[in-house]
Amino acid sequence: MVLPLSLLRTAQNHPMLVELKNGETYNGHLVSCDSWMNIHLRDAICTSRDGDRFQKMPEVYVRGSTIKYLRIPDEVVEMVKDEVKEVRRQQKDNTRAKKNFQRGAGGNVGGPPRGGGAPRGGRGGQRGRK
Amino acid sequence: MPGEKDDSTRKKKESIVDLSRFIDKKIRVKFQGGREAAGVLKGYDALLNLVLDNAIEYLRDPDDPHKLTNDTRQLGLIVARGTAITVVAPNDGIE
Repeated sequence: MVLPLSLLRTAQNHPMLVELKNGETYNGHLVSCDSWMNIHLRDAICTSRDGDRFQKMPEVYVRGSTIKYLRIPDEVVEMVKDEVKEVRRQQKDNTRAKKNFQRGAGGNVGGPPRGGGAPRGGRGGQRGRK
Repeated sequence: MPGEKDDSTRKKKESIVDLSRFIDKKIRVKFQGGREAAGVLKGYDALLNLVLDNAIEYLRDPDDPHKLTNDTRQLGLIVARGTAITVVAPNDGIE
């Protein structure tokens, strides 16, 4: 699944178009964004809502709550798909590693601080056998 | 609760644009509702409240409130409320 904000994060250093609720649009390269969709663009061109006035600005900060939508190049969508896959894989590896670690720790460390040693040891052993 | 959320909002905001680069520089600010102003940035906080010195407001066409006119209005030293700000840009290099 492609989440809007992960797409936006992936779009960093890519050109994009941002339309604000007031109808103004900003074309520029995304420098950074945050989880409120606040956006920092460089080399932006601001187009008025009727499209007849243009302003070049070296950089601009846009408050996320005033954004209507963003247009992002197609290749970023491909990138984000790959990225999501990669993250999923990493997460899977992580959880697997964590499980293994817990299993290992359960067997070796034993449990003076945690509740009774005997049932814990038994459980660990059973798990290991399965 | 809303206070908490604001708290983290501003932390993020600070990290995304470094307003200290604009201190003592003229910046252009647009507000919700369409007002526009420019002034020398004297201070700011994490909520994006700005202190602008020698601020001027760019007045709009009474017939078309989206269109700026050449008229300006001197505001002097102002605090621009962060929640009402939509766009911040350095004033030099525009157009």
